[in-house]
Amino acid sequence: MKKQAVWLLATLVALLVVGCASQRAPAEQAVASAESALAAVRDTAQKYAPDQLQVVEGQLAGLKDSLAKGDYKSVLAAAPGISAAIGNLKDSAEAKKAEADAANAKAKDAWTSMGSDVQMMADAIQSRIDVLSKSHHLPKGVTADSLAAAKSGLDSLKAAWGDATNAAATGDYATAVSKGQAVKDQGTQIMKSLGMTSS
Amino acid sequence: MADPNTSGTGNPYTQTHVVQSGDTLSKLAQRYYGDASLYTKIFQANRDVLSDPNKIQVGQKLRIP
Repeated sequence: MKKQAVWLLATLVALLVVGCASQRAPAEQAVASAESALAAVRDTAQKYAPDQLQVVEGQLAGLKDSLAKGDYKSVLAAAPGISAAIGNLKDSAEAKKAEADAANAKAKDAWTSMGSDVQMMADAIQSRIDVLSKSHHLPKGVTADSLAAAKSGLDSLKAAWGDATNAAATGDYATAVSKGQAVKDQGTQIMKSLGMTSS
Repeated sequence: MADPNTSGTGNPYTQTHVVQSGDTLSKLAQRYYGDASLYTKIFQANRDVLSDPNKIQVGQKLRIP
């Protein structure tokens, strides 16, 4: 009787060991697959869906923790869900990237026309400043102070335009257009101060 | 009458002036620059339509640099 019990116990232990061993390889494979899938989407997700990425990173960390503890059953149970989460993350990040790319392409077009526009505005202001600097009496509405402010304002405008140009050079046309619009607004104010535009 | 918004040619940000009866380049220079002696600036900017600074015509659109 006792001998039979020992054999039974030994058989159960053997089955348990075999069972665990049979789950280990697929569990390791599941974690490796998840890591690989997440690595493929990480850069895009980091930029376009950072919050969602953080959640998935947490889920993957939990999966790896279960694997380290030998809890292969939990790993295999959770793996499909994490795989789906990575798929959703990929879709979400790519959709946001496509949206951002489209917006940037639109901004690029706006930037292209803005470039010559701002240059002509700066030229017109510079021309008026040059003439007024030679004037013995300034016209109505323009004072020595406002002329001096226009001169420094034009320098500031050119510097700000340089910042916008730098943004465009990096491919960030949305920022370039935003900065460029601020430059145009500044130029409009300078033109008004010199009596170059209607009030 | 001033048309300070844009002109149809060249730099759209250059101020323009449509010549009215009684206008002279000196008067325009006085108005826009505060100094009549700077009329040559306007003349030089409009050499494509002016051959003589003393001859401007009503309705001409002049650039005021």
